[in-house]
Amino acid sequence: MISERNTHRFMLVPAALLLILFIYLPVLKGATMAFQSYNMFDLSNLHFNGFENFINVITNPDIRFLQILGNTLVWVVGSLALQFLLGFLLAMLMKDPFKGRGLYSGLVFYAWALSGFAIGLTWAWLFNGQFGLVNDIFIRSGILKEPVGFLSSPRLAMISVIIANVWYGIPFFGIMLLAALQSVPGELYEAATIDGAGRFHQLFSVTIPYIRPTIISTTLLRTMWIINFPDIIYAMTNGGPVNRTNILATQMINKIFKEYDYGQGAAIGVIIMVLLFAYASFYLKMSSRKEGDV
Amino acid sequence: MIKKSLPERILRTLALLLFLLLAIGPLYWIFVTSIKGPKEIYTWPLRYWPENPTLESYRKLFSFSSFGRYFLNSITISLCASFAAMMVSVSSGFALSRYKVKKVKGRLLLSLYFTQTIPTFILMVPLFTTLSKMGLIDSLPMLGIVYVATVVAFSTIMAKSFFDRIPASLEEAAMIDGCSTMQSLFHVILPVTLPGMAAIFSFAFINIWNELFLAVMLLFSDEKMTVPVALNSFISKAGISWDVMSAGIIIALLPTMLVFGIGQKYIVAGLTEGSVKG
Amino acid sequence: MAKMNKVFMLGLIFCVAGFSLFAGGQQDAAGDGAVSLTFFETMTSPGRTATIQGIIDDYKAANPGAEINLISPPYEQADNKLTLMLTSNQDLDVVEVRDHTIKQFVNNGKLMDLSGYLKDWDEAGDLLPLANSAARTVDNTPYLIPQFFFVKALFVRTDILKQYGYDTMPATMEEMYEMAIAISGENAAQFGFGFRGKGSSFKISDVMILSDLDNIDPANVYKTSDGKFSFNNDVAREAVANYVDLFRNAVPSDGINWGFNEQVNAFISGTTPFLIQDPDTVALVNEQLGEENYTVIPIPVGKSGRSYLDYGFAGLGIPSYTKKADEAWDFISYMTGAEKNAEFCKAYGPLPIHGASYASDPYFSSGVYKAWETTMSDTDTYSFIKYPLDSPKYPGWAQVQEQYMQSLLIGEITVDEAIAKWSGYWEY
Repeated sequence: MISERNTHRFMLVPAALLLILFIYLPVLKGATMAFQSYNMFDLSNLHFNGFENFINVITNPDIRFLQILGNTLVWVVGSLALQFLLGFLLAMLMKDPFKGRGLYSGLVFYAWALSGFAIGLTWAWLFNGQFGLVNDIFIRSGILKEPVGFLSSPRLAMISVIIANVWYGIPFFGIMLLAALQSVPGELYEAATIDGAGRFHQLFSVTIPYIRPTIISTTLLRTMWIINFPDIIYAMTNGGPVNRTNILATQMINKIFKEYDYGQGAAIGVIIMVLLFAYASFYLKMSSRKEGDV
Repeated sequence: MIKKSLPERILRTLALLLFLLLAIGPLYWIFVTSIKGPKEIYTWPLRYWPENPTLESYRKLFSFSSFGRYFLNSITISLCASFAAMMVSVSSGFALSRYKVKKVKGRLLLSLYFTQTIPTFILMVPLFTTLSKMGLIDSLPMLGIVYVATVVAFSTIMAKSFFDRIPASLEEAAMIDGCSTMQSLFHVILPVTLPGMAAIFSFAFINIWNELFLAVMLLFSDEKMTVPVALNSFISKAGISWDVMSAGIIIALLPTMLVFGIGQKYIVAGLTEGSVKG
Repeated sequence: MAKMNKVFMLGLIFCVAGFSLFAGGQQDAAGDGAVSLTFFETMTSPGRTATIQGIIDDYKAANPGAEINLISPPYEQADNKLTLMLTSNQDLDVVEVRDHTIKQFVNNGKLMDLSGYLKDWDEAGDLLPLANSAARTVDNTPYLIPQFFFVKALFVRTDILKQYGYDTMPATMEEMYEMAIAISGENAAQFGFGFRGKGSSFKISDVMILSDLDNIDPANVYKTSDGKFSFNNDVAREAVANYVDLFRNAVPSDGINWGFNEQVNAFISGTTPFLIQDPDTVALVNEQLGEENYTVIPIPVGKSGRSYLDYGFAGLGIPSYTKKADEAWDFISYMTGAEKNAEFCKAYGPLPIHGASYASDPYFSSGVYKAWETTMSDTDTYSFIKYPLDSPKYPGWAQVQEQYMQSLLIGEITVDEAIAKWSGYWEY
């Protein structure tokens, strides 16, 4: 008879095989490209060049790396915070049953099923400076006098793409947090009520601590997904105007798709991975100090 | 549970309606755009219902290229790969959840989280060159396997969290009755986590159905194309035809809506599951 | 438990059925002795792919047994996909190479020199000089046969201009700027010029700006005849300032984010009565606006009395490693021959490559196409120039140019600073 531990190992094999063959090995190869002069413009000149790609990506004044880094931070923090807060609010609103909740959740959560590409196009169309619905609504309601170029204004472009991303992300948090909220045992609330805790107090003393593991794992995963999610920005502004919405992920696409410089593109990819992995390790360590696991 | 006052209930209803409006609005607008003629799309002020509703853009969508074929491809590959991903991750998630050595378990989990830091584009070139050398390119089954690999890490993380909530005493009892680990998983644990598996399946399905870049790069033949690739084909040097594109977005949304509509009850239940018992 | 088993069985059965369905579709269509070619197109659009498929069908009818598989990836990813496929020597026999990808394919040894075939081609003599020069873009060697040209012209909304009392067309850039600015603001929704703000916007802005200079190097638009950077002089500085002025006074502020769609939509809706675009825009404008409301004229000349125009092109080449070069050439010569080329261009929009097409088919010398005929024939006024397509810096230029141009347009930097940045990029 096989031991229990061996069975467990055996059960890990299919997933491990898939991940090693199609994720870990390719990413290793991809990361190697970051240390090579890998420009499709002239492959005869392919050689290892140390950290040249990284230095170039970071110091090239035409690329404005610091601004891109700052944009990435605004993009991820803004999107994540709003997605989370609104998703949490929606989940709280939906926690107690009401008539037609099943249908309601189907309608309010469907955005989750769209592709990033479709969302980007949809919102580019909604924010269109000439025929956009958003402009029309603002003008009809008297808030604006004439159409505004949401995606062309250096001040409004980042906010606009974040709004699109928030719209897309609310359902994810809504579903995850709704499920977590529904799992909070009713007795906990009863006990808290007997102790004389008000509604707000309950939220912070009962609800949030109970669903903390869900909050930690969803926000962590979402952070990674948002950073690695250029689709919306790519379709709406492609980093413009004047670099205002350019994030690491869109710059990486530009390097690969427009300039055919796979080496520098890979270097940006490695930078993303290192930053995210450091962040994830830190985040998991911090949160596992209190909790046993994620 | 605290009883809610009337103003509070009104406020809640209003808030729910506002969320609904914001969620539905963009979809409505895409739909309206899809039934406007190409001339009416670009008229100002906007019309919230077209003067002459027409299904012309849907006709164009299906007359250009074999959209029906792409649809079938997408359905098949999404269903199969999601099913496979679900099976694989149930196995690995269970093993990971029951893994005894804490340190190894922590590292394995971290290696799963690590995959989520990887941008797809860094995988694309190596995947393309390796697969093409092995002659495995332009094959839908192969793309399906790659898709399973791209979703399996997250699916495993999810599966593990479901199994974590099920007390080990459940399968231990079964094993005392003479079941092996596998048997106890199949006969005792899985039936309890069926909603959780539905959740894993739905997540995988939505991700795979919407995947664009790997499909563009790894498939060549027209008859193998998937829906996202076909939709992307409506963007050319001469820009986007908004009417046809909107029709395409609506059509492409249908299967995910369906899976989601059927699955969401289980998704919420699946995510809730276990913690009630554990 | 029975339910569980049912779910799994259903899943398995479906997947086995699904994959066998895919496997069934993978037969090689070509029989014994038949030629099977793979043709990769890059400038895809649904309509164009249908046209090419029609030509392929005609070819198959004329050559029984021939089989051509057309690969048509989405436009935005096509060039990259072709790059990867050529690098890994995938089965390709005919490839559509673009002006900005030809140099890299040649660098990497992926394209066959077509001199031998071209020498024996009976239609070679009829090729326009422009076609010959496009074919020999790299190393003065024909690595491709062009299929068409994109040349810019000025689209004008005659009906709108009439509303404001204009019945003459602008002959110079200066006149166009003046008209565009004068019209703007006549009412809240009226602007003058269909601006291009993003997506290779230099292909329009540089045509407008550099026409004020009289000494552009035809081999590299970014150099003057004395070898200096084209923008590093007072004439260019003033021209850039005028261009910024046009943006501020005749374009909605949204214009900075305008790509092809927004440009054309603004023209069709009447927001901006002037638009600089390629001939493939004609069909779209005809469909959405109607032929009676607009006309097309050659690009107005600059202060130099001339216009410098680039010619965008894509052509068919043969991968250096294919074993079916002769068959591939047979198809290329069919598809780029005068008859099929004219048919192709008529359906797709751009300008054909054979002199005969202009002479025999009134389509390309009448109506709005008259503008392009004039442009192509009046060589004193319209000089064709080249972008530095063979420079390793060219692929990155679009982003750098756009960034500083946008920065300049919104007033973050001055004209001098923008020019200094561009100059720094080209290291003049």
